Amino acid sequence: MHLDLSEMTQLAPIFRELFKGYHVSRRDPELYAQLSNLQDQYRGLFKALGFELVCDTRGFYYFVPDLAAAQVNKTAQRLALFTFILVEHLADQGRDPVAVLDGGSLGRDELPSLLEKYRDLFLQAEVQTQEELEEKIMRRMTQLGFAAEEVGIYRFLPPMHRFLDVCLSVQQDRDLAASLHSALPLPAPVLIDEDSDERLLETDDPLDLTEFDESAETEEQALARAIAEEQEHDA
Amino acid sequence: MQYNRRFYLPVSDHPMIEPKRVLRALAEHWALLEPLCEHFDQGTLSLSELRLQLAAQQLESTPQDITTLLDVWIRLDILVPVAKSPNRFELNAQIHDFLSYLRREHRLGLCLEIEAYLRHLERLAGYIQEAFDARDANDLARQLRLLDMRVRDVLKKLANDEQALVAVAERAKTSDRQIPLRQRYAEVLATWDEYVEPMIQLVNADGAFEQGVRKVENVLLRMLTDQQRLGHLVDDDMLLRTHARILEMQTSAQLTLRHARELLLPLREEARRHNAVTRGAALALSAIRRRGIDAVPQAAMPMFTRPQSTFLGSANQVEAYVYALARFEPKPAHFPKANITRKGEPPRAPRTVKEMVERCEDALPMPDLMVWLLEQEPTGATDELLYWFSRLSRDKRFTRERLERREYLTQEHRVSLRSFALLSSKDATTENSEGTAHAS
Repeated sequence: MHLDLSEMTQLAPIFRELFKGYHVSRRDPELYAQLSNLQDQYRGLFKALGFELVCDTRGFYYFVPDLAAAQVNKTAQRLALFTFILVEHLADQGRDPVAVLDGGSLGRDELPSLLEKYRDLFLQAEVQTQEELEEKIMRRMTQLGFAAEEVGIYRFLPPMHRFLDVCLSVQQDRDLAASLHSALPLPAPVLIDEDSDERLLETDDPLDLTEFDESAETEEQALARAIAEEQEHDA
Repeated sequence: MQYNRRFYLPVSDHPMIEPKRVLRALAEHWALLEPLCEHFDQGTLSLSELRLQLAAQQLESTPQDITTLLDVWIRLDILVPVAKSPNRFELNAQIHDFLSYLRREHRLGLCLEIEAYLRHLERLAGYIQEAFDARDANDLARQLRLLDMRVRDVLKKLANDEQALVAVAERAKTSDRQIPLRQRYAEVLATWDEYVEPMIQLVNADGAFEQGVRKVENVLLRMLTDQQRLGHLVDDDMLLRTHARILEMQTSAQLTLRHARELLLPLREEARRHNAVTRGAALALSAIRRRGIDAVPQAAMPMFTRPQSTFLGSANQVEAYVYALARFEPKPAHFPKANITRKGEPPRAPRTVKEMVERCEDALPMPDLMVWLLEQEPTGATDELLYWFSRLSRDKRFTRERLERREYLTQEHRVSLRSFALLSSKDATTENSEGTAHAS
């Protein structure tokens, strides 16, 4: 493929945002326009660099996280929980959840009642106060490109479709529906070290790329594991 | 206000109302009647509601004017009292339909109506066949006319239904996004279930519609042939016209159905998706309530771990590389100018195989190919010399003889190999034949 780097004038900012886990949508007109116009070039370049750029036809771009470390983190769980709550809350009010989450908005003043109504559920996501709700959920949503805050109003952006897709896949998950009525434990996701998520929040520098300290494995353990894996593979 | 009881009696007891007077009244009072139609579409109106509506439209009219106007409409049978509620009024059903047609307001009919029409068409086809068999020309013509009118009814109904479907889709699309979903899509879903779905069954290849059409068509076509044989009871044109109209009805039904699907299917899917999203969220919350936040299966969750490159290098290196790329500026290519003379010796063109083979042939017999190559190309690169060594030693024009291993020094390397002594293939053949001759 022919790559003309002089055309890719937004390469640095695009990479910086995507690399942070940000979802680029029309909210960032310059980046979005360039990604749309040079979609194949960007995808090719990032692929050569080892990143998979997802071009969602519903109008957003993001990097696929490393599948080898495919673990759902706390942020994803919190944001998904918030989406579930919001969908139910809006449906209860007779409002159209999809219309709100797909380009609609939510007033900041609606958060206290939401927190009050779903206190037990928010507690599971370690969210107890409005400050925590804003910090751990709403701020992360804006940081990752799922929402934009404008004078006390959160406007939801197209990447929210990723969470609406979660709702759809849960709905289609017959195992989940069946397990709700059984005593067997639900398949629990493997989580990455919670600290790593918190550290993402702590750092002020978006480009702080210091490795997360999650390899508690010693060299000997790693060797033993590699041998075991090899044997398993051979078998 | 009292109205003459005479007008509350059933229609059949009414004296004949002159059509021109009704039409004139409709034309004259159109501005008042049209807004009232919307109210009558929703239901009936009481006398006081009617008076209020009219007063709002005619600010300058006196109560007496309104009474006179209502009296005219009632006398002309435009307004009729609702059965058992003499103080409530509705539009005469026939006039209401006519006004709806004029206002392009269409109420969706029932799919069952179309099916009933089709059954009736089948029955008529039976009567037509019977009339033909009995050679009753009058009855045959009458039944054909009836058939033709019924087909027109179906066509009219299909056209009306199509307009009504467009209106259903428009209402759903333009309704307030904030109103409850169930309300917003209720009409679309009901229309789908009650009209489109049964219509799909009806217009199916083995459905009642197709069967009915085929039956009528067969009767008409057989009759055309039989008329040729047995003599004409009715004009062929009449049969052909009816046949054409039957086919038009069939096409029209298919088009209406296709249009209905195109209009309503996306909306129905949207509604289903909304329901699925709401149901999924409720299901997930229920699971989380029972088993905690980890209850939602991992596979369903989007992942937001920081993207990791599969590139062989640390994240820092990849990042640095991308930023270097972003600042990348290609070096301008400098091509030699035509008018500048080159200093020093011009670079030598690479040797061709033909050239090398010829030179090699000239140098035969050759005691050691590698030594010869080093003499020929003293400054040649090692890989180039080895290429020529391989190429020339395998050429069919030469016979080769393996030598002992020894070392050769190229400009850059010391190469250890077993070289070849080369002879011409022709010489080798001659020698062999001579040897054979001596032997014999």
